[in-house]
Amino acid sequence: MARKLLLNSAQIRKARKAGRVLMPIFRKYRTRILLGFLALLGVDLLQLLIPRVIKSAIDSLQYAGATGASLLRHGALIVAIAGAIAACRFVWRYLILGFSRMLERDLRNRILEKLVELDRPFFNRRPAGEIMALAGNDLTAVQMACGIGLVSCVDAVMMTGAAIAFMAYIDPKLTLLALAPMPILALLTGLLTALLHKRFSRVQEQFSRLTEFSRSTLGAIRLIKAYNQEVAQTGYFDKMGRDYVKNNLRLAVVQGALFPFSTMIANFSLLLVVYFGGRLTIVGTISIGDFVAFMSYLFLMTWPMMAIGWVTTLFQRGITSLDRINRVLVEEPAVREPAVPLPMPQSNQLLVLRDLTFGHLPAAPPVLNGISLEIKPGFTGVVGKTGAGKTTLCQLLARIYPVADRQYFWEDIDVNRLGLREVRSRIAYVPQDTLLFSDTIEANIAFSRPGAAQQEIEKAARLAAIHDEIISLDKGYQTRVGERGVLLSGGQRQRIALARALLTDRPVIIIDDGLSAVDTDTEHRIIANFREWLPGRTCVMVSHRVAPILEADQIVVLADGGIAARGTHRELLVRNRFYRTIHDHQMSNPGTGD
Amino acid sequence: MHYGYGYFEEDRLKKSGDLKLWRRIMIYVAPRWLEVSGAIILALVITGCSLALPDLIRRAIDDFIVNSQLDSAARLAGVSDLALIFLVLLVTGFAAHFLQVIILEWTGQQIMHRMRQDLFSHMLSLETAFFNRNPVGKLVTRLTNDIQNMHEMFTSVIVTLFNDMVRIAGILVILCLMNWRLALLMMLLIPVIIFNTVLFSRLARLAFREIRTQLARINAFLQEALSGISVIQLFARERDTLRRFGELNESFLQRCFYQIKIFGLFMPMLELLSAVAVALIIWYGGGQIIRERMSMGELVAFLTYMRLFFQPLRDLSQKYSIVQSSLASAERIFQLLDTVGNLPVAAEPKRAAAIRGGIEFDRVTFGYGKAQPVVKELTFRAEPGETVAIVGATGAGKTTIINLLERFYDPDRGRIRLDGIDLQDLAPEDLRQQIGLVMQDVYIFPATFRENIVMDRAISAQRLNEIIAAAQLSGFIRNLPAGLETRIGEGGQDLSAGQRQLLAMARVLSRDSRILVLDEATSSVDTETEMLIEKALAATMANRTSIIIAHRLSTIRRADRIIVMDRGRIVEEGDHEALMAENGVYHRLISLQNGKNGGG
Repeated sequence: MARKLLLNSAQIRKARKAGRVLMPIFRKYRTRILLGFLALLGVDLLQLLIPRVIKSAIDSLQYAGATGASLLRHGALIVAIAGAIAACRFVWRYLILGFSRMLERDLRNRILEKLVELDRPFFNRRPAGEIMALAGNDLTAVQMACGIGLVSCVDAVMMTGAAIAFMAYIDPKLTLLALAPMPILALLTGLLTALLHKRFSRVQEQFSRLTEFSRSTLGAIRLIKAYNQEVAQTGYFDKMGRDYVKNNLRLAVVQGALFPFSTMIANFSLLLVVYFGGRLTIVGTISIGDFVAFMSYLFLMTWPMMAIGWVTTLFQRGITSLDRINRVLVEEPAVREPAVPLPMPQSNQLLVLRDLTFGHLPAAPPVLNGISLEIKPGFTGVVGKTGAGKTTLCQLLARIYPVADRQYFWEDIDVNRLGLREVRSRIAYVPQDTLLFSDTIEANIAFSRPGAAQQEIEKAARLAAIHDEIISLDKGYQTRVGERGVLLSGGQRQRIALARALLTDRPVIIIDDGLSAVDTDTEHRIIANFREWLPGRTCVMVSHRVAPILEADQIVVLADGGIAARGTHRELLVRNRFYRTIHDHQMSNPGTGD
Repeated sequence: MHYGYGYFEEDRLKKSGDLKLWRRIMIYVAPRWLEVSGAIILALVITGCSLALPDLIRRAIDDFIVNSQLDSAARLAGVSDLALIFLVLLVTGFAAHFLQVIILEWTGQQIMHRMRQDLFSHMLSLETAFFNRNPVGKLVTRLTNDIQNMHEMFTSVIVTLFNDMVRIAGILVILCLMNWRLALLMMLLIPVIIFNTVLFSRLARLAFREIRTQLARINAFLQEALSGISVIQLFARERDTLRRFGELNESFLQRCFYQIKIFGLFMPMLELLSAVAVALIIWYGGGQIIRERMSMGELVAFLTYMRLFFQPLRDLSQKYSIVQSSLASAERIFQLLDTVGNLPVAAEPKRAAAIRGGIEFDRVTFGYGKAQPVVKELTFRAEPGETVAIVGATGAGKTTIINLLERFYDPDRGRIRLDGIDLQDLAPEDLRQQIGLVMQDVYIFPATFRENIVMDRAISAQRLNEIIAAAQLSGFIRNLPAGLETRIGEGGQDLSAGQRQLLAMARVLSRDSRILVLDEATSSVDTETEMLIEKALAATMANRTSIIIAHRLSTIRRADRIIVMDRGRIVEEGDHEALMAENGVYHRLISLQNGKNGGG
């Protein structure tokens, strides 16, 4: 029962796991932390001296003849001690609070280090807003716990210990009496913090939901406006906000009890001292100076006692948040690196799929089912209905999702036995969704190969048939792309993304419907450019339009996760109904395509 | 690379006085006057209780403990009586304190909720250009973290501030009554304290602003790195990304250190002053006792009250950090609330009796920035019920026409009319009500499939099924784990580009608008599916005005009229046959698509 009241086992487990994350960081800055706490110890010891000086002054006033000069000496001593305290305070603040900020920096860097290592399955599971909250609110909570929280905790322990010692020196029995309310405080604090922890988690969750909602709404502002969704969205937001308010109130009830309660207990101790200490002074067991000094020590303990609630909250939040951060830090990418990668094949890039089967969820029907295919250097076109598995095929080829052993080979080596980086560095993949950074066009293209010469960048842009349009802009290659490339048309963005991929000059290029927003004329120019550039390379292109893949070495028709047909344009026109239908429909004279 | 991605320049805020900020904050607080006054009354109770305690101790010492005129029994009884009063005050203080925390939290949350709602709906009312200038990450920070900062201030500062002032005033009065000479001496410290606090406040404010700006930069960077994570990985730019993030982070750390130094210098200052006060009491007060102008109990009470006097001051500096950061947040929030849209809304918008759907562009010129215009002197009409296709190379200005028609932007020159009424004379929501738009980029909300289609409309299950069937989504939805109730968008079921376009199509079908605008609506949909959608659309479009932007010939051919654009101008106009006969730009585009010109 009592154990349940203080900390439950799950919390202890969390705290232990959390400790494992922080340990190396603490070790790294151990000198700094040690010196900081030494300064803090100095502060506490010096602080305890002041009541001694006050006691001797008061006793001299009451019992022995105090003079103006002796009182001035006492006063000067107090100021001198206070000066030393101030110096020590600066030192610990600089060292320990500084440490907590360094810890924050290190953790923040580690979060991103982990994020760039993780792959698609992780990001499908975790919305960006949630991750943002991790690097924001949660990190702050950890920093607070490890900075001011830790200091307050150590300070409270040292201060309480020393104050108790001094008090016991004056009168042990009175000390025991004064401390009698403490266990009640500890018990109730434990009970309340367990509850606090639970309610705080809910508030944090709600907060990240609120963040995620505003992010997605503001990101889709054009849709919101076009569909007059302003009122409806504000309504949703209102509902979420109210929920957030409600949970905050539930949290406040616990939190609100904690602090006034500690204050009351602290004052209750004072009451006991006045009542019993007063008696002792009246009967002459202790001097009036002792009585006053005793109260001064009790005051020194008041803050640490009141801080118990606050510090526990800080630690609770810190542990909860660290646990959330930790859950990301222990994530592993779904595509695994082999323990001992085999050397990459030297010869030309022959990609072989053997009975490739893949599903995102084990329970759901597979997206791709039994695909066997040889992709030789040259041009491979992929067509198929929406949902046939074209994108998944590209993503598997580009090693974005994991494949089972012995289903995907480079030359004759299973890709699972090749180094992930090596494989990826041979593939230029142009995904369906174009993503540009808010930076200059030049920087966006050169993103794929930092340090590329201007000539090379322009060559890639020419290849992607975007060079002329770029130089017709006012600032040419130095034009800044708005957030998410707002100020460029869809086709322009696609071609910049294509140029970015082409600049890498990698032997395999996979274009997943990357020309869908490009007009026919431009598309035609790009394909023409490709013809000169292609020899010796492997190109896989998914397209809904037949025109760009007319001259492909092989065209694969996907249907329901399998290969429905394979062949050249001419062969497929004869053999495959789907291909013929789309071809006829897209060409100007229906029915004469054959 | 000159800029980092996610880079943005934080506006240099003009120095608006704190007073002005407070006045605006108070506008939000005012409606909650009842709760606030309740909290203030409770503050008085709490202060009263805490100030009475040292006086009780003084009485205990002077009247009983060191009073040699009474016998021991009477002295002990006196102490017991005082202890009882002490206990009553303690319990009252606790109850009042608890109640106050709850009331404050409630009030603060309500005010923040109000503010968040105001900010949110204000943001949604701003024009599209605003969102081009301000990254989403920054705006989200305003809505979440900045509001949160202000909430901290509401619950822990506003009434505490009052609380503290009452307390300080009360202490000064009590001290004066006990010994005015010593009290006056104590008051000499006040100017020093004020000077210290003011100087500190200035420096701390600056330090916090620096920290916040840098944090916003870090967030913007992270936001963009997250959305572009696949690109970063594809091109193996992880190390470079980490390096730049590390630099931002390092600079953040430096700013934090500056703040720590400021606080480290000023916070102990107050403790030092408090020690000076104690020393003065011992020296001067002790002297008074020797001259028998003061009692021992009074000296002890002085010491206790001085501690109570400095406690709120210490709190004040601690809470200063909260006030500082929340005032900085308030400044940004209000600045955003003051941002006015550039799209003037007619004071008395006209309403067409029945929208027929006639669209007219009259010598329209428009550019997104100061750069050269994207569309120039554009003039064309779409009669009610007519289907007009717009074709042209990418960058010819096709999407811009739609942006103007939806009134995401206003033209720089020229007029756009709907049924003869200038768009600027219509209420934007009335205008947009009439237009069903499918955009190039399909946005998905993190919500269920159904919610993504119907949005705020109420649509019968039967009609919804028809719509889904027409949009060729029935098969796909049937295979989803929870059918229509499957969650899509971030964190939910993944949709392919084609499936997203089908969803957008379903969306527009559910709106039943007079005017249909399709911007590359089926570019990622396979031809077979597209044919089926076209059939469904043909029925829908029959008596509606439609504007279609497409590359695929099959889509274009259906149009009554085709407008061919090149570099912001209309170069050809007519139906398919006429344009083919003209043997110009259109003819070339079509032949390319047919592969007849494939030799070159």
